[in-house]
Amino acid sequence: MADYTYPSIYFAYFLFFLFLAGALYFFLRSFRDGYWGATSEDVKYQMLKDEEAEGHGS
Amino acid sequence: MAAEKEIPSGASSATASHRPVHSDTAAKWFLMSSVVYFFVVGVIALIIAAKFVWPELLGTIPMFSYGRLRPLHVNGMLFGWLLAADMGLVFYFVPRLCGVKLYSEKLGVATAVLWNAIVLGAVVSLLMGWNQGFEYAELPLVLDVAVVVAWILFGVNVFGTVFTRRYPQMYVSLWYTMGCILWTAFVYLTGNFATLFTTGVNQANLNWMYVHNAVGLIFTPVGLALAYYFIPKAGNIPLYSHKLSMIGFWSLAFFYVWTGAHHMIHGPISQWLQTISIAFSLMLLLPVWTVVYNFFATMKGHWPLTRDNVPLKFLMSGVVFYLLTCFQGPMHSLRSVNAIVSKTDWIPGHAHMAVLGAFSFFAIAGVYYSIPRIFHTKLYSDALANWSYWLAMIGGIGFFVTLWLGGFWQGWQWNNPAIPFIDTVVALKPIWAVRFFSGVLIFGGIATFLYNILATVIHAGPRPQEAVHA
Amino acid sequence: MLNKADSNAVWFIVLALVFFAIGGLLTTVAPPLIDKSWAAPFSNSDPSKGLTGQLRPLTELEQRGRAIYVREGCWYCHTQQTRTLLADTKRSGWRGVDSPVSTPDEFVYDSPHLFGTKRTGPDLSRVGGKYDTQWHRTHFRNPRDLVPGSIMPPYPWIANNESEFQAIVAYLQTLGRAKNWRPENDYEK
Repeated sequence: MADYTYPSIYFAYFLFFLFLAGALYFFLRSFRDGYWGATSEDVKYQMLKDEEAEGHGS
Repeated sequence: MAAEKEIPSGASSATASHRPVHSDTAAKWFLMSSVVYFFVVGVIALIIAAKFVWPELLGTIPMFSYGRLRPLHVNGMLFGWLLAADMGLVFYFVPRLCGVKLYSEKLGVATAVLWNAIVLGAVVSLLMGWNQGFEYAELPLVLDVAVVVAWILFGVNVFGTVFTRRYPQMYVSLWYTMGCILWTAFVYLTGNFATLFTTGVNQANLNWMYVHNAVGLIFTPVGLALAYYFIPKAGNIPLYSHKLSMIGFWSLAFFYVWTGAHHMIHGPISQWLQTISIAFSLMLLLPVWTVVYNFFATMKGHWPLTRDNVPLKFLMSGVVFYLLTCFQGPMHSLRSVNAIVSKTDWIPGHAHMAVLGAFSFFAIAGVYYSIPRIFHTKLYSDALANWSYWLAMIGGIGFFVTLWLGGFWQGWQWNNPAIPFIDTVVALKPIWAVRFFSGVLIFGGIATFLYNILATVIHAGPRPQEAVHA
Repeated sequence: MLNKADSNAVWFIVLALVFFAIGGLLTTVAPPLIDKSWAAPFSNSDPSKGLTGQLRPLTELEQRGRAIYVREGCWYCHTQQTRTLLADTKRSGWRGVDSPVSTPDEFVYDSPHLFGTKRTGPDLSRVGGKYDTQWHRTHFRNPRDLVPGSIMPPYPWIANNESEFQAIVAYLQTLGRAKNWRPENDYEK
């Protein structure tokens, strides 16, 4: 059990939770920034078209 | 793919004014040379697999001893075949995703020429034993510098294209390609130059940061860029979710670089660093599973397409192998599992599934998809393409599965010190025999792939002489 | 923030590099600054016996031997690390004495490092002094003469080249000797 109580292990836990908090923060912020908007998926249809569609791009 | 209509040769018909005509010269150079290297280095792969079964084979010729052919096999497959094919395919899809011509075809061709010079230089230096002694970074310093120059030229071309793109929103394949170029620059410098100024464990740490990220931040992002482009294209199905692919991208960008020290678990390196690398290795499941879920969800309801569509067959098999290999990786980093499988033959099984099963399958699919379009023709033979798939697939599974089982078995034997080491070697001989014969099947797949591509190009007609410059 | 990267390549470049750099710097630059044992050569002394082991740089001959070891790619099949596993300390041990585990301070002068990732042949981290010159000569000529079932390739061009052979044997005899862990007078000369 002593293996799990070194300061460095606590540091690893600390880093983990720090990054987790950062990830959650930016995830929540992305909603506020309109990251998940209605047009955000357009690009995946456009990439299918570019070769077939003669002329008019999206 | 079958529905693809014949497009007349680009030069004669500029149908739409703002639809760019892709000449794809740089892509041709990279792709044609890489498929030839795939075959040639495949021969070397067979020789070293045979050496496990017949250790005396070519044993008295220094140039063909195992210790010199193995780095040639690894470097040849990674840089001569896979990275060159990836670069060729990047030159194919980046202009198409950007809706503009490639920034400079001439620069691209120059990059390809330099790249071929590097590969030939690598063959000579490795056979002569001019080996720096770092895994994946064996090449002499001159060639390392040339690789950096080639990579900068490649990066200028890709970023030049991206900066002049017509579509503002960037498709995920562009993200991965650009990420690959940026990260590779740093990873490569660390592994090939920073190591020269350090010694011992510090050097090993830098070396393994490079070794791990050569796969994780070079071949993974560019391989996924191919999969994200060619799966929707080959099946003509829109991607399930572009946003989900972003999550995979950013988590890959953040997590992957931390894990280098997991190559030294239980070894002479600080325990806390091992623990950090283990924690981050487990977090790799996040980018992997988001990516794999995205591909499976894309294919939902479209799986019958894989029956007749060879590129899609390679791509989706590659996705399955990617899922498996990226499950193995994190599990292998756990101390208890690592104590069994580390340093055993499980390792080549795992490494081959990543580089051959996943990323080479993606690249093969990309070549099968793009070569007929680049040369404005049809694939020479779909039947032959199916053969190449099944040979590579059956050989691959035989290879991977026997080495995992053999590796576990070997690891358990090693952990019983009552068994003399030589007995654990003798016990593995049947495993190595199966590995060799699986290798023969894989090589058959490579040979039919090469023949099919060459035949396609030669039968393409108008400009046949461009086909065989490699 | 992230949505800017969606359609702005410069933003994308900055973010991709920042994400990468956090882990990149913390796992490459930081560790040697934190753990000083990576750079301090091994040395141990006992109040009653004096110096009981010390890491010394290789001589010129041993360095030539090491260069041959690198050139021939010995490190593709032989690791040089006795890991923190009981079985490793037994296998690296000698005549019933368990070997100590490898520690960073034993490798301070190593460049290139030769820890290895694959153990097709046995680990060599403690091989120094276990076998004499004649054994190595026979073994390099044809490993199967001494170890039936071995799959190590023969190295006649080393065994028959006296200066190369002396160099590589001199190097092999240094491996794992810094920690003077075996009973007195047990080493082969």
